[in-house]
Amino acid sequence: MSTPLLELRELATHFPVRGGVLLRATGTNRAVDGVSLSVQRGETLGLVGESGCGKSTLGKTVVRLLQPTSGSILFEGQDISNLSRRRLKPLRRELQMVFQDPAESLNSRHTVGNLIEEPLIIHGVGTAAERAARVRELLDLVGLPASAAEKFPFEFSGGQRQRISIARAIALGPKLLVCDEPVSALDVSIQSQILNLFLDLQAELGLAYLFIAHDLAVVRHVSDSIAVMYLGRIMEYADTDDLMDRPRHPYTQALITAIPVPDPTRRSTRTILSGDVPSPIDPPSGCPFHTRCPHAEARCRNERPLLREAARKGSTPHLVACHFDF
Amino acid sequence: MPQRTLLEVRGLVTAFDTEGGRVRAVDRVDFSLERGRTLGIVGESGCGKSVTALSIMRLLPQPMGQIVAGTIRFEGTDLVSADQPTLHRIRGGRIGMIFQEPMTALNPVHRIGRQIAESLILHKGIERRAALERAVGMLERVGIPAPELRLSEYPHQLSGGMRQRVMIAIALACDPALLIADEPTTALDVTVQAQILELIAKLRSETGMGVMLITHDLGVIAEQCDDVVVMYAGRVAEQAPVKDLFARPLHPYTRGLLDSIPHLETPRKSRLPTIAGMVPTLKDLPDGCRFNNRCPHADDRCRREQPLLSRAGDGHLVACHHWQRIAGEVRT
Ligand SMILES: Nc1ncnc2c1ncn2[C@@H]1O[C@H](COP(=O)(O)OP(=O)(O)OP(=O)(O)O)[C@@H](O)[C@H]1O
Ligand SMILES: Nc1ncnc2c1ncn2[C@@H]1O[C@H](COP(=O)(O)OP(=O)(O)O)[C@@H](O)[C@H]1O
Ligand code: SF4
Ligand code: SF4
Ligand SMILES: [Mg+2]
Ligand SMILES: [Mg+2]
Repeated sequence: MSTPLLELRELATHFPVRGGVLLRATGTNRAVDGVSLSVQRGETLGLVGESGCGKSTLGKTVVRLLQPTSGSILFEGQDISNLSRRRLKPLRRELQMVFQDPAESLNSRHTVGNLIEEPLIIHGVGTAAERAARVRELLDLVGLPASAAEKFPFEFSGGQRQRISIARAIALGPKLLVCDEPVSALDVSIQSQILNLFLDLQAELGLAYLFIAHDLAVVRHVSDSIAVMYLGRIMEYADTDDLMDRPRHPYTQALITAIPVPDPTRRSTRTILSGDVPSPIDPPSGCPFHTRCPHAEARCRNERPLLREAARKGSTPHLVACHFDF
Repeated sequence: MPQRTLLEVRGLVTAFDTEGGRVRAVDRVDFSLERGRTLGIVGESGCGKSVTALSIMRLLPQPMGQIVAGTIRFEGTDLVSADQPTLHRIRGGRIGMIFQEPMTALNPVHRIGRQIAESLILHKGIERRAALERAVGMLERVGIPAPELRLSEYPHQLSGGMRQRVMIAIALACDPALLIADEPTTALDVTVQAQILELIAKLRSETGMGVMLITHDLGVIAEQCDDVVVMYAGRVAEQAPVKDLFARPLHPYTRGLLDSIPHLETPRKSRLPTIAGMVPTLKDLPDGCRFNNRCPHADDRCRREQPLLSRAGDGHLVACHHWQRIAGEVRT
């Protein structure tokens, strides 16, 4: 098999927890704690999990907005986990990120045209005229009129602002886009427009996505495979259809049944999980899910299950971090 | 025998005075809610869901927000013309409220126990000790473990789900006849949302109260509600019993909403149906039907004349000139 576009090996990103008047480090937040995953060219890996599970931290680490504590990030086979800022710069062309709240990621003192052109200038791409043409092309690609270039971000709706941040993120022709909850802040009628845009761009430009969201129905729709994260670790990974049809981890099973189904004739039967996600600062011993797992046994409290291959579909293994088979 | 209708909103118009002039955030809204039932209000951001709820509770931001027309009948009282003492008695007493972000509704400097007890002291006139005892019972009822210990905690010490449970405990402390819940689970994870929605449904069937549940999530509507009001740009587009709405949506906007959400059965990576364009702002609402700039069925009449709600079936109301023709069309 060819080298994956992105490969994470035992990746960890920890944050020091400071307390007391002197703000001394009093503990460690193991936000991402040993994640191994890969993304193939032109494909989408979905990442789901409850809030605080480390999804955004993982996304930011992949694009090196955060420095990993340990493990490695291989991009096209090259380890980028320790590259200096200067050596990272050329990689920014290949690796971009789109955030949940487009209002925050767009500097509103600049026109939309300037915002989209900025990455081109930073990377010394083209002449002024060529860049202006590229801006028009990008606006067209994300479904905005050329006249948008002269306006300011605040003159646009949430959905349009998300189109602007996508145009900016794809300006340099990246191979991988890390999307962190890119449609969560949008209304349903706008959400479907933006999801279609992501699908179109992938078909046209061969983009790969690491697509982070908490809405499993949305993630299922766009992803080729899905990883389920809990307390900084991967609980399950599989081909999308495989994961949805035959979830094997009790956490995934609970997540799937918790989605309210928009069909009143099908009131679902669900396992309602008790409690909330425990703190990643003091995670449970053994299996991180044991405090909420309906199947937990003594072994689960003592021994951490490894991510093991439970099945396989084509070249995609179905990985599960649970001692048992459900 | 008490009347079946608990809340009846008729011709409600709520306006805000803004720098650009007066805008009608809610414009001639009608709906009613029966005892023991859950009415869902659904619609996109800015369509007037929260303003409707704030109008019912008479908690509109002052002095910008005003109810300029209509009546809101609740247990025999018109809340629009009610005086302040009456409103104080009803709010938190006969009507309980929960919001999306419990942190903004809870007092950060008061202990949980005190906040629940205060409502009981105010509305039920019972003394402090007894009120605190009742507070323990309420916390237990909403599924908070070790309630005696929680009494002395502050809101920030609780998780989002726990805070929402505390809000529910406060809202229900005085046995209200109506619970208004404005996006009570939007800020929560799906697993915690499932807990909270189950709790609200359980308490509703125990107490027989009516629930007005505001959400933008059609899944939540399908699972929790008996009846649904779909709002668009400050007006009711459609109202129907929940099964009817999903089986036979008549308004083009309702159809568009239902079609645009990805289901677990939607073919993966297929293009989703969309509603063209976006919601107009209150300042540039189109003439005639407010949906006409996004509607695939719009014609001259739609651009001229505002459609009124008309009866399309048992309890099924729709505000569209062409619903009869559209009803015959097969959805793709
Ligand atoms: N204090 C205010 N001053 C002026 N306009 C307001 C005010 N509060 C609300 N509005 C306007 O009233 C309309 C309805 O707002 P409302 O908060 O009811 O929407 P909503 O349906 O609850 O939306 P969301 O789903 O975002 O909560 C919007 O156009 C909003 O901008
Ligand atoms: N910059 C940071 N400094 C310290 N802690 C952080 C930082 N960013 C995230 N965290 C913590 O890391 C954990 C995972 O957070 P995050 O990756 O944002 O989760 P998610 O995106 O899954 O909701 C949380 O406990 C969060 O509080
Ligand atoms: S290892 Fe044990 S606690 Fe963890 S998911 Fe499996 S059964 Fe549940
Ligand atoms: S009245 Fe006309 S524009 Fe409005 S929803 Fe009906 S068909 Fe569409
Ligand atoms: Mg996040
Ligand atoms: Mg609202």
